Parts: sequence; structure tokens; C-alpha cells
Amino acid sequence: MFELFFAEFKLSWIEFRRYPLESLGVVFITTIFFYALFLSTRYIAGPSLQFGDKLDAIIVGYVLWSLVSFVLNRIAFDLQKEAQTGTLEQLFLSSFGATTVVLVRSLANLALQLIVTLGILLIIIGLTGRSLNFPPALILPLISVLMSAYGISLMVGALALIFKRIQQILAFFQFGLLFILATPIDSFTGINLLLVKLLPMTTGAELLRDLMARGNNLDMAKLTFAFACGAFYLGIGLFIFNLSEKAAKSRGIISGY
Amino acid sequence: MNALEAYNLKKIFRKKNQIIEAVKEVSLTIPSGEVLAFLGPNGAGKTTSIKMMAGLIKPDYGFVRILGNDPHKNSQALKKLGAVLEGNRNIYWRLTPEENLEYFGVLKGLSQREAKKSSLELIERFGLQNKRRAVVQNLSRGMQQKLAIAVALINKPQLLLLDEPTLGLDVEATEDVKILIKEIAASGCAILLTTHQLNIAEELSDRVAIIQKGKIVTELHTQELIRQFSGASYKIEMENSLDREMILKLQTFGVDIQYGKTIYIDTQDVVYQVLEILNPLPFYKVDKDESDLTQIFLKLVRGDDNN
Repeated sequence: MFELFFAEFKLSWIEFRRYPLESLGVVFITTIFFYALFLSTRYIAGPSLQFGDKLDAIIVGYVLWSLVSFVLNRIAFDLQKEAQTGTLEQLFLSSFGATTVVLVRSLANLALQLIVTLGILLIIIGLTGRSLNFPPALILPLISVLMSAYGISLMVGALALIFKRIQQILAFFQFGLLFILATPIDSFTGINLLLVKLLPMTTGAELLRDLMARGNNLDMAKLTFAFACGAFYLGIGLFIFNLSEKAAKSRGIISGY
Repeated sequence: MNALEAYNLKKIFRKKNQIIEAVKEVSLTIPSGEVLAFLGPNGAGKTTSIKMMAGLIKPDYGFVRILGNDPHKNSQALKKLGAVLEGNRNIYWRLTPEENLEYFGVLKGLSQREAKKSSLELIERFGLQNKRRAVVQNLSRGMQQKLAIAVALINKPQLLLLDEPTLGLDVEATEDVKILIKEIAASGCAILLTTHQLNIAEELSDRVAIIQKGKIVTELHTQELIRQFSGASYKIEMENSLDREMILKLQTFGVDIQYGKTIYIDTQDVVYQVLEILNPLPFYKVDKDESDLTQIFLKLVRGDDNN
């Protein structure tokens, strides 16, 4: 498995190095979009507006959304691209099994995605003049968020395996995620708060906002809950992708429509 | 142990209210080192059959064994398999030949070191040294196909599935691929080959299986099949068309004349008599009237259609 991870990492690195404009384009678009929203908000509210740590919380949520979007899109986009170029069947001929290959590929790509996301974060911090905390403990809630993200990514990938072209569904998930990740939990109360906490990644995102924007300590009870959610959604994702693989083989549609 | 055993494969596809019996009953065995040409018209069920054997489509009935392992239940079976599927797919166009070979080597279960070693051997064997660092999209179609075959061999498989390996290739590239296929079979690898170029199937295959409407209609050693469909007659091809007087004279010997230029003769001694009469008219060829695979294929497929 380590050999496969290394080979997939090498594949991602080759593509990144050979076609750097694709990654740079993503950094540019993601930062410009946020900066445009930031400038518009400041224009409406006037120059005396003080964001405080509320802006910091929004920055954390937005950048986390961009990272999770990369993760979410990666599996589905890869499957669509592989189906179009014809290499999807070669992946299914691997003795590792398609689910393992797809997941390891996405994980191997994570390192590059984290670098790109860090680039986006630093640029946004620079443009907005804000500052964030980077305690080492942030790794833990980040892992819980990524577990859920991979779970959702596998579910969307399962759809891509069956339907091949799912751009509209991806767009739906992407902007649904923006709501989940960029909206602070403390804006909800009562039953809505409970429902929001059960959504994927919300507790992990809230923990990251606590650590990076508000300078709070890590809440272990919340972290346990975040990991439990992460494991749940990852498990569901693996199960659904496996089912989808069986269905695609039964219907003979691995290669195309 | 046979490299491939496929027994009683069946596959039905359901699309809206339609039921399509793509494969009704396909059974094949291929021992090591043998090349089986798997022929059939478009829509006969070749690709569906091959994909069931490769573990890409789950059969509704029947089973497949690759060196004793079921590719649908035991992923270890896939370590012994290589496949080049139809089209210019199978490899990454944004990578170089070297990168493709190393990546797919690991994907097929080799270590990084083994993949690198195998990659260098295959690059040399397939004549890709000068292009090993060029991205695949900049290679000719022939080189891309050679690379696809090389990638299928990276894990030294004992069964190779080749779906239309010479499709879209020019003459030189086709000859190169034919030589490679012969070498691969000679090294002990079993090969299942599909092609619409029946002259290639005739040249490369040890056995032929012809599928029509989801069922195998014939399966024989290639030369045995040709012998079965060939008579003991002879054929003289003239350079120019014969005049009416000559045709009438020849017909007294009981020969059959087609298009005014080709004379079919049943027995050898009549050949000498006919040549005596034809002298000194120029002729192009005197040959045994042996069927080729194209004629046999058309007879079987059209005959089955008529039935």
C-alpha cells in the first residue's frame, strides 16, 4: 500500500510540476472570489467597520471550504476524466481494487492540496490584514474534517462511477459545503443547532475556528464527537463506493455510459 | 493448468424496457503460449465476453478462471493478467512512456524497484528509448499502441487480452505489433486477440473462435479450420480477360471461370491440359484454391444469419 501511495504521489507531483497553471489558476480564483466579497462588504459597511475575530472565523471557514472542495471534487473529477480518456478500466484491473486505488490517489494528492490551501490562506491573510493562530493541535480537528470530506467525496465518486458526468451535482455539493463550513455554529439554536452538529464537518470546522480565530483551547469532548462523525461519514462513503463499483460491473458501465 | 478458462458465460443488459442478451453462452480455454483469435461481427458479444474474462463486467451465469483464480472474487488473479482494450486509451497522455510504465507497474502490484527495472527492459524491447521522456500525446499512434502493449506486460502476465491491437495503425506499426505479439506468445504468455483484420488473425493465431449473436459458432485450430473449408481444387489467375472462344474451349474440360480471368479446376491432371490450351497467354498465378479466414468467417456468419 505504501508503494501505491508513493506512486500516486509521484503522479500528482508530475502533473503539478508539468502543468502548474492549473493549480495557480485555482489559487487565483479562490483568493480573488473571497477578496471581492471582502471588499464589497467593507464598501457597504463603510471604512469604520471592525470585523474582529468574526472575520477571522469566516476566513478559516472559507479556506477550509476550498480545501474540502478540492478533496470532494478530486475523486469524482478523476473518475470522470479517467472514463473520458479510457484509463478507468485499467484502474479496475489493479489487484489493489478500485476503492483502494481511488482513495489512496486522493490521499496522495492531499499533500499538494494542503500546500495550495496554505497558499490561499496566506494570501487572504495578507490581503485582509488579519492574523490567525496556528497551534499544532489544529491537526486533530483538521483530520476529523478530512475524514468526513473523504466520505462525502467517495459518495459523490460513487455517483460519478455510475453517471460519469455529474458537474451539476458537484456544484450543488460545493455550495452546500460553503454553507456547512463557513457558517459559524453559534448562529444556530435549539433543534437547528443539533441538526447542524450532525452534518458532516461542522463540529471539526467549529473547532478549527475556535483554535485559529478565537485563540481558544481544544475542547476534547467536541473533538471526540468530530472524530466520531468523521468515522461515520467515511464508513458510509466506503460502503456506498463499494456498492457503486459492484453495480457498475454488473451493468457493464465502467468504461463509459 | 490453463491460463484462461471461461465456462458458460452469459450476460444480459436491461435498458429501460429492453432486454439485451449480449452473451448467451461462451466457453473458452487457452493454454499457456497459445494465441486464440476471437472473431465476430460488431455487436456479436466479443467485447462483453472479454470484459467478463478480465473482471470488468460481472457475468450473470458462468465463471472465469485465470490460472485457477476467479478475477471477480480474488484480486490476485489480476496480477497474472494484462489487457489492452480498444481504442487509444489504456495509458496517460500527460505522462511519458517511462512514467506510465513505472506507475502501472506499481498499480499492478510490483514494487517501485521492480517496476523501474521492468520499465527499462520494456522500453528497450519495444524500441521506445528515443521517446521515453516525451509525453504520450506527442507520440505517433503506433508508438502509443506499442506503449499500451508494453504497459500491459509490465507485470509479466501469463494471460494477455488484446482488443483490436492494430486498429488505426499504419502498415509499419502493424508489422511491429505483429512481431511483438509473436514474441510474447513464444515467451509462454497466453493471448486472446480480437481483430477485424482477419489476415492478421490468420497469421498470428493458433486457434480461432468465432462468436455470432452471443454464442460461439466454431472453435478450431486455425489451420484445421482453413483445411475444413478448403477444397482440393486449383485456381489459375490470368493477367488479361479471356475471349469468348477461349472460354468455350476451356469449359469443355468442366472448369469454372469467374470474371473471365480466374479459372477453377477440380483435379491436377486437368490443370496441365488447361495450361496446354492457355499457352502462350500470360497468367498471373497458379495456386491451390485455399480458403482464407475472411472467406470462412463470412461463410459462417452469413450462414448463421440465413439460419
